[in-house]
Amino acid sequence: MSDDFGGMLIALLPNLRRFAISLCRSRDVADDLVQVTCERALANRASFEPGTRFDAWMFRILRNAWIDQTRRLKTQGTVIDIEDAHTLIGDEGEKSTGNRLMLSATLKAIDALPEDQREIILLTCVEEMSYKETAEVLDVPIGTVMSRLARARKKVAEELGIKKGINGSPDRFDDEEETSE
Amino acid sequence: MTDWGLDDDMLMAFADGELDAKEREAVEKAMAADEAIAQRVQMFIETRACAKEAFEPMLDEPVPDALAAKIKDMVAASEAASAHADPGQETDNVTVLKPKSDLAKPGGAPYWSLPLAASIALVAGAAAGFITGRGGDVQTGGTHLSMLNAPAFSQALGSVGSGDERPFEDGGRFRAIASFRDDDGTFCREFELDESNGSTVVGVACHGGAEWQLRFSVVAGKTDAGYAPASSLEALDAYLGAVGAGEPLSTEDEAAALREFD
Repeated sequence: MSDDFGGMLIALLPNLRRFAISLCRSRDVADDLVQVTCERALANRASFEPGTRFDAWMFRILRNAWIDQTRRLKTQGTVIDIEDAHTLIGDEGEKSTGNRLMLSATLKAIDALPEDQREIILLTCVEEMSYKETAEVLDVPIGTVMSRLARARKKVAEELGIKKGINGSPDRFDDEEETSE
Repeated sequence: MTDWGLDDDMLMAFADGELDAKEREAVEKAMAADEAIAQRVQMFIETRACAKEAFEPMLDEPVPDALAAKIKDMVAASEAASAHADPGQETDNVTVLKPKSDLAKPGGAPYWSLPLAASIALVAGAAAGFITGRGGDVQTGGTHLSMLNAPAFSQALGSVGSGDERPFEDGGRFRAIASFRDDDGTFCREFELDESNGSTVVGVACHGGAEWQLRFSVVAGKTDAGYAPASSLEALDAYLGAVGAGEPLSTEDEAAALREFD
């Protein structure tokens, strides 16, 4: 195991936190999640294969920790109104002008996506992982990654008023229901 | 409308640089012939760029002290525990995705990986709207692009070294960013052009033998009300990534290429 495991972990904290915020949509919940993720990663550091993407490995742990956490919260009957939290934008969003307005409009559009689409946008478009790497992090087939990602981007484009092209042929380019789940 | 047999997954995969050379070619052909398809691809390029840009500031948020301290303690404890069991090995060639907030710029690190093959010109801007060029023709549908037809512009493309700039008589300014060759060996330049009206055009032009052809351009620096384009640099980056482009030429190779325009 590499000596620099801890260093890599700390260097990746901003990215982990960003992914966590996008999942939880609450900075406080996200920070707890990042902590749990790091605990798990350190406990399982031997299972990390050197030469593979460290960030993908960490994102996978983080996402699994998030699933565990939401499941536990649900079974405990704890009321955390995560769905209504919608705090992707943070305090900065309120003060936005000009270009920042576009940024917060984008955040708002992504914020409104279902979680399974939001996480894919984050991993592919934001963290620049390949479809294959994303599929491995999420444990779903590549076809599922692509159909969710395409749907998510069409919705975001709609929200932002980005022209979508291909208007006259709904048979080819309409939103398709996912078939590969 | 011709049915190109291209579904959204394919067009999106093109925008994301996930296609192989043969598939890429099929999409490029369809884009050149069918503006609606080009626009669809542009939608995928832009949503990617928007998402990336929107989440970029989050990386700059300071990690809360309490969290950072806890993680550092955990790491220290873990390293202490594994120090006996696992004495230092070499650092492995692990890929850590670093926050990538700046594009490689003048003389910068290579961020293009594959040959640039598409001959499309994309113009995203509040005023110019969206124009798709066919066969690499320079499109002048938007007022912003008037400068691109001026002889001074062609002249600058063929002489200004990357990292340098040249003022124009009308108050505009040309900056050469980088040079590269596409898969046919065609000499291409990435540039920025400050126009006298205050907007900046970011673009790629290639010299296909007889003349310069605009392959890509976005208008930046315009914040008109309504639809605002994704950051032009992100869009350019996404474009180059999607179609693939050779690594930037070294200063020497570029100088040699520019000598042919003397």
